[in-house]
Amino acid sequence: MSKFGIGIDIGSTTAKGLLIDSDMKVCAKHIMLTGAAASQAIDKILEELESQSGLQLDNITIISTGYGRARVENAEKSVTEITCHSRGVHSLNPEIRLLIDVGGQDSKVIRIGKKGRPDDFELNDKCSAGTGRFLEVMARVLGITIDELGPLALQSDSPSSISSTCTVFAESEVIGHIGAGAKPDDIAAGIHESMSTKIVALAKRVKVVPPVCVTGGVALNPAFRHYLSKHLGTNLWIPEEPQLTGALGAAVIALNGKS
Amino acid sequence: MGHQASEENRLTWVTSGFPVEIPVAMDLGVSYPEQYGAIVGSQKVGPEVCGYAEDIGYSQELCSYARVSIGSVENPDSSPMEGLPKPQALLAGNNICGTVLRWYDAISEQTGAPVFLLDTPPIEDKQPDHHKEYVLRGVDRLVEFLGTTFNKTLTEERMQEVADLSSKALGLWTKSLVACKTSPSPLNCADRFLAMGPVVSMRGTELIIDFYQGLWDEVEMRVKEGLGAIREEKIRLLWDNIPPWHSIFKFFNGLAKRGVVFPADTYTHAWSGQIEGDDLFDSVATMYSNVYLNKGLDAKIDKMCNMIKDYNLDGFVMFSVRSCKRYSLGQLVSKEIVTERTGVPGVVIEGDMVDSRVYNEAQIQTRVDALLEMFM
Repeated sequence: MSKFGIGIDIGSTTAKGLLIDSDMKVCAKHIMLTGAAASQAIDKILEELESQSGLQLDNITIISTGYGRARVENAEKSVTEITCHSRGVHSLNPEIRLLIDVGGQDSKVIRIGKKGRPDDFELNDKCSAGTGRFLEVMARVLGITIDELGPLALQSDSPSSISSTCTVFAESEVIGHIGAGAKPDDIAAGIHESMSTKIVALAKRVKVVPPVCVTGGVALNPAFRHYLSKHLGTNLWIPEEPQLTGALGAAVIALNGKS
Repeated sequence: MGHQASEENRLTWVTSGFPVEIPVAMDLGVSYPEQYGAIVGSQKVGPEVCGYAEDIGYSQELCSYARVSIGSVENPDSSPMEGLPKPQALLAGNNICGTVLRWYDAISEQTGAPVFLLDTPPIEDKQPDHHKEYVLRGVDRLVEFLGTTFNKTLTEERMQEVADLSSKALGLWTKSLVACKTSPSPLNCADRFLAMGPVVSMRGTELIIDFYQGLWDEVEMRVKEGLGAIREEKIRLLWDNIPPWHSIFKFFNGLAKRGVVFPADTYTHAWSGQIEGDDLFDSVATMYSNVYLNKGLDAKIDKMCNMIKDYNLDGFVMFSVRSCKRYSLGQLVSKEIVTERTGVPGVVIEGDMVDSRVYNEAQIQTRVDALLEMFM
């Protein structure tokens, strides 16, 4: 086992880096927008990890993950985000059996085995409904920021019905609700309810086995958590930094030397 | 049905699950639009040739084999090999899917060739007697149709000869497939997908016997000498469905470099069986009614589970082919049941056999990589 491990997760929207020591203590971390040039994001992350930790990174194993994983040239190897999220969450809470990761442009549901490896998984990477992009588009239609969308939805006790989970069609429906004079909080609640049912359908394909963990940037949204929990019929466990579990899993693999 | 072909023009187009032994025994030429689709896919011009069909109003959701053949008839000058030679009759068997009838109707409109449909309703379990009698009547009608259209007769002697040649080729082919139960596997997936060409399109002819004898000789030698299809066999997987022809080498050879071999697949095993016994038509009706795609989901699941056990496989990859609904329908449910029954993991990847516009390599790579990480 190495003394330190670095995980770099190049996601579609954000790039994340994490440096841990052999006690699994986080020594440095950095999150930034991936942008158009993944290589710049990678350089910046390594620079941040180095300055925050005060360590020379040359001899520390790097494992890369995320859709841009192949771009991390100094990584010892790349591992899929499916395995990394699974390992990362397992290192934080070994009880978790189902992981729902909702990222910027895809969502995944992973059944975690007892040893922290994925037993089964399903991805939604064909359709932006059920991803962070869906919420971004809807926030724009409502004329608010993405951070305001969740709290606004929680004020509603009568969510509007958004029947379609296709982002483009749902956008038209939302515009229709606005035109009909529906309250913004009800529309926002309907948006989260619609997205949650889409994710629940994906989760059912790998079976919902509690306890369930939610990660990815969308896990930070309180209305999404509320409606997801309601439709799954179970409480959710959210890590302190749900965006970093992929990078954490990669760092754990870097430490242990095994995926 | 009154179309009369001249002696020089005796070409039929047939579907892959059609009892080709009958037109062959009546000395008719056969050509396969599905194989043409595979050629177009392999040449990486699927989007262009499919586009010729889309230009005249066919949906992108339609089977890409159908789009390719309709498109190549519409625009032969821009299609590989200038399309297939023009047919004088179209022989469709719906034992592989229901699309073939409408597809061949469309080709009929374009070329003027008449369509014959051999109707084989799906079978859930064992073929009931009334089902076989119905299919047998269809086989009789086929002989009559070809006789009228091409002014040909079918003799018992010639039918026996063709049936024997067909059975011989299928026997050698099946033997080569079954030999992949050994480890290391003597054949990988792409090997089988390429080698199946003649047994699909030239069953019943003398020409292909040498080819399959040669294949079997090599397979036998490889098994004897422990010579695998790939250098270092580490993981053995099952493949389900038609391959992505446009990426066949990249996909399977890329995995081979990482020690992943596919000793079995559900597709190339679909051409098996023997036409034998006193009543050859009876045998034809049985064999062609019981093809893999004409059976219910339970039979498909059983076959996959048996293959995983018999070929000692570690997992499976199901290719959900956007344009082949018949093959892909039920894969999500099957995946769950197969894993439950065999204890091995599987993954569903999505794309198309010919139309590379709906094949996202990065997404497929992530899914397959995640499956492989489960074994490491």
